[in-house]
Amino acid sequence: MTTCIPAGTGKLHFRVRDFNAQGCRKASWVTFSELSWSRGVSKFLQIQRCNSSQSPINESSKPLRTITSSSLRDDSTKFFDFTVIGSGVAGLRYALEVAKHGSVAVITKAEPHESNTNYAQGGVSAVLCPSDSVESHVQDTIVAGAYLCDEETVRVVCTEGPERIRELIAMGASFDHGEDGNLHLTREGGHSHHRIVHAADMTGKEIERALLEAVIKDPNIFMFQHHFAIDLLTSQDGSETVCLGVDTLNTETLEVIRFISKVTLLASGGAGQIYPTTTNPPVATGDGIAMAHRAQAVVSNMEFVQFHPTALADEGLPVKSTKARGNAFLITEAVRGDGGILYNLDMERFMPLYDERAELATRDVVARSIDDQLKKRNEKYVLLDISHKPRDKILSHFPNIAAECLRGGLDITRQPIPVVPAAHYMCGGVRAGLQGETNVQGLYVAGEVACTGLHGANRLASNSLLEALVFARRAVQPSIDHMKSSSLDFSASNWWSRPVVPMSLERNVINKILTMTRKVRKELQSIMWNYVGIVRSTTRLEAAEQKIHDLEAKWEDYLFRLGWEPTMVGLEACEMRNFFCCAKMVVSSALARHESRGLHYTIDFPHVEESERLPTIIFPCSSVKSTWSSRQLHNQPMC
Amino acid sequence: MATNLSRRFSSTIVTKAEPLARSAVNSVGRLLSSSTGQSQPERENAEVKYDGSAKQDDDGAEDGENDGDELDLNKETGEIGGPKGPEPTRYGDWEKNGRCSDF
Repeated sequence: MTTCIPAGTGKLHFRVRDFNAQGCRKASWVTFSELSWSRGVSKFLQIQRCNSSQSPINESSKPLRTITSSSLRDDSTKFFDFTVIGSGVAGLRYALEVAKHGSVAVITKAEPHESNTNYAQGGVSAVLCPSDSVESHVQDTIVAGAYLCDEETVRVVCTEGPERIRELIAMGASFDHGEDGNLHLTREGGHSHHRIVHAADMTGKEIERALLEAVIKDPNIFMFQHHFAIDLLTSQDGSETVCLGVDTLNTETLEVIRFISKVTLLASGGAGQIYPTTTNPPVATGDGIAMAHRAQAVVSNMEFVQFHPTALADEGLPVKSTKARGNAFLITEAVRGDGGILYNLDMERFMPLYDERAELATRDVVARSIDDQLKKRNEKYVLLDISHKPRDKILSHFPNIAAECLRGGLDITRQPIPVVPAAHYMCGGVRAGLQGETNVQGLYVAGEVACTGLHGANRLASNSLLEALVFARRAVQPSIDHMKSSSLDFSASNWWSRPVVPMSLERNVINKILTMTRKVRKELQSIMWNYVGIVRSTTRLEAAEQKIHDLEAKWEDYLFRLGWEPTMVGLEACEMRNFFCCAKMVVSSALARHESRGLHYTIDFPHVEESERLPTIIFPCSSVKSTWSSRQLHNQPMC
Repeated sequence: MATNLSRRFSSTIVTKAEPLARSAVNSVGRLLSSSTGQSQPERENAEVKYDGSAKQDDDGAEDGENDGDELDLNKETGEIGGPKGPEPTRYGDWEKNGRCSDF
């Protein structure tokens, strides 16, 4: 067994680079990185590995799993060498590798396959054709990213992509081939070569399937589904923050389960649900970004939210379904390409006012034009009309749209389709170095939750699965090294107070809180869409800030007045905390960028400014006046 | 406003691709090479739910299955086991039957 070394005397050091902060704004402040991505980050994260001769017994040749299974006196605390939060492509890919070196817990808040990965129906981009080149993929990525990408990161990802695909194939993922036996590659917008590898049109699902199958078979990987991650467990070692695990809530049994690990990988995905219309499934509530922020991790580029201009707007359908749609039905560019016309609710064709290419303008222009119309006219959706085309063509080209609309009582061969932009992907997130490392010791990130510098100000199509694969793999060796060279005190499980399930509250009180929380959630989504949408302005962003602040105060006040304690947990309440956290970060980042670039457009600074071509960084700062959402549950101030 | 919004997008690339003409040629090519010799019954077989209108000059459902090959081969793209119907990326985004899933 290992000797105990309390974290306070830990031998691992790193220096926190002192950025010129502009001062605190509530729980965080925003400034610009002085250096380019990779230089900045590697300086920022000088991790000196502790000398193994100095650290006792601990070079764990004996994997923790045997200890775990034999000393489970207390079922509510589990010890693993590695903890993975999230079961999408990043989490699972990483788990499969580190499992060769120790025990792994994979924590997922719903069913394992429920993640953005599973809905990724396009493909993965990689240079797999002899006539293609890494340089070309790099260029395409940087152009799409509006020159805000970290070039070294882009190069690394584009270079390592092909190998990651080959590994996936070796693991059993089947991608489409051509007759010649080579992988079949398509070409998406923004790519100058055919380089999208795919499995019919359910690539994400296929990758998820192959990885899950391998994970289930792996004796070192333990899957904990329906475990919602509440907060990361961290301790301070001087100026350094160390992550030692995570608290979770088993949403089926309503038990709090604490996971203690030397290494944690955060792969919890996106935050699309902070907007009312999103392609993301309901699990995508930004939990990881929020937890990391509360754990003192640096977050970056939160203002870059990718929207698609035309998702089916349920509120415009004649027949409203009783069940809310899980995730938005995006209507393809092809409808406009085939002659579809956009109208506002007064049946005015507005695109020609914004661009001479009208409906055939680039997607970003269309998205902004639609958003502009909606804000100016205070409306909920616009109309996309294809009914002037021959009925049989419409039905043969777009049977999915026709069927879906028919379910809502709309015949697209006769009537226009109600559409509204939908949030799709978060380019920002927890700031990661080239090995997926963060400024928190023992905390690594991969996938959509991370901000690696790959996407810059706008993601290139099919680069997200690629990023997840590459960074999940890159985080493996540093994780193993860290696991082997750090020590874990088994009494660590008592260092933090435990979150509690609200047993002491009456059923009707809980119901009231639930009802209020759901209402507040909708209000927040509405604020985000109306004030932090596609076309932004300083006035609107400042209004958003105020409204979010007021809404959060109102919600917390309601909860606590009804008897909710700061250490209590419930799924909806915890998700709501994370919503507020993410929303505030998006707003403050958007306010900090005094230019328009990529996905971030503001009428007050409508042009690209070279001097602003830097990532937006959010540092956590401990502030006296903080809200429930901005502090870890076990770190609440005493009342 | 028009210039403001459009000026920014010179760097954004969306390929409104080629394929309409390409698929017309291939559709015709496929008809001619069809082993059953009759295009109409094949089409109705493939697209039972639609009215049996004459082959359109653009990309109807290019269904590899009907060729009579064992392989699920898309003659136009040479792809085996691929998505049915027209090339999903022909308008830049990833599209199936009108629903977009990546862009």
